[in-house]
Amino acid sequence: MSAVKRYLPVAVRIALGGIFIYAALPKIADPVTFAGSVASYQILPYFWSYFTAAVLPFLELICGVLLVSGYRVRACALIVAALNVVFMAALASLIVRGLDIDCGCFGGGKTSPWLALSRDAVFLAMAGAVLWFEEKRTPPPVVRS
Amino acid sequence: MAKTTVSIIEISLIVLVAAALGVFWNRTLLADAWRGAPTRQAAPAQAGEQLPMPVGLAQVKEMLDAGQAVVVDARSAASFREEHIAGALPLPLEEAKKRTGKSPLLEKVGKDSVVIAYCNGFSCHDSMELAKLLIGSGYGSVYVFEGGLPEWRDAGYPLAKGER
Repeated sequence: MSAVKRYLPVAVRIALGGIFIYAALPKIADPVTFAGSVASYQILPYFWSYFTAAVLPFLELICGVLLVSGYRVRACALIVAALNVVFMAALASLIVRGLDIDCGCFGGGKTSPWLALSRDAVFLAMAGAVLWFEEKRTPPPVVRS
Repeated sequence: MAKTTVSIIEISLIVLVAAALGVFWNRTLLADAWRGAPTRQAAPAQAGEQLPMPVGLAQVKEMLDAGQAVVVDARSAASFREEHIAGALPLPLEEAKKRTGKSPLLEKVGKDSVVIAYCNGFSCHDSMELAKLLIGSGYGSVYVFEGGLPEWRDAGYPLAKGER
């Protein structure tokens, strides 16, 4: 087995986990600002913007830590993929409605919806790759006759 | 147990733990947001600086209905035209900054009036900045409605469109 085949799955998994940890920390540190970012999408009502801002960063952090540590990888990759699909749908709705706001993805610094959408597509592909590597790695079940 | 079932159980557990942690970590913030109270306390005042006090949704509605306060919109003129709190006066922060020292910040509004500034709520700082300018120009009772337009809109309170 070549070095690339051996280390690529680990590299992708750790990179994806690291990105989600990096994204979660500023939001946990300043939930009010993140609630403002969520509210600027004009999708959720007032209280639910706060609720999302309170819970979502912890989900990102837990999945990030588990992905980096290699524990419960399949479940975390599925959550990360689902989150990215939701993020992409929200960003697409921004583009359709012509709202030019900060995506709030990594806290601070304005990112255009198009750039954020492309970035999330890459993260979604990474989550898909992690799942694919995980399926290949898992040995087939033993069938007893 | 099938792999899919295991994944569903694991995903549910991870989401539940994240929700529990998030709610516990932000319990005060969420309780304030639920009650419609201001979620951020005013920062400590600098020497000689008077800071506006935050005010909650219920108080803003009560004061506005009773005609006890003037509500001022700190957002841009375009945003004001699109949607604003019914009865609010437009005073975009950028315009207010230019007016200071040249002409009164709020025409026909006495310096002894109670003034409540708002913008887009949450982390928007324009209302706080505008309130500071109002205090600086001589208004004695200035508040900031931190929930701003999103909280007002979600409460189903009256909104208006167009110029004032």
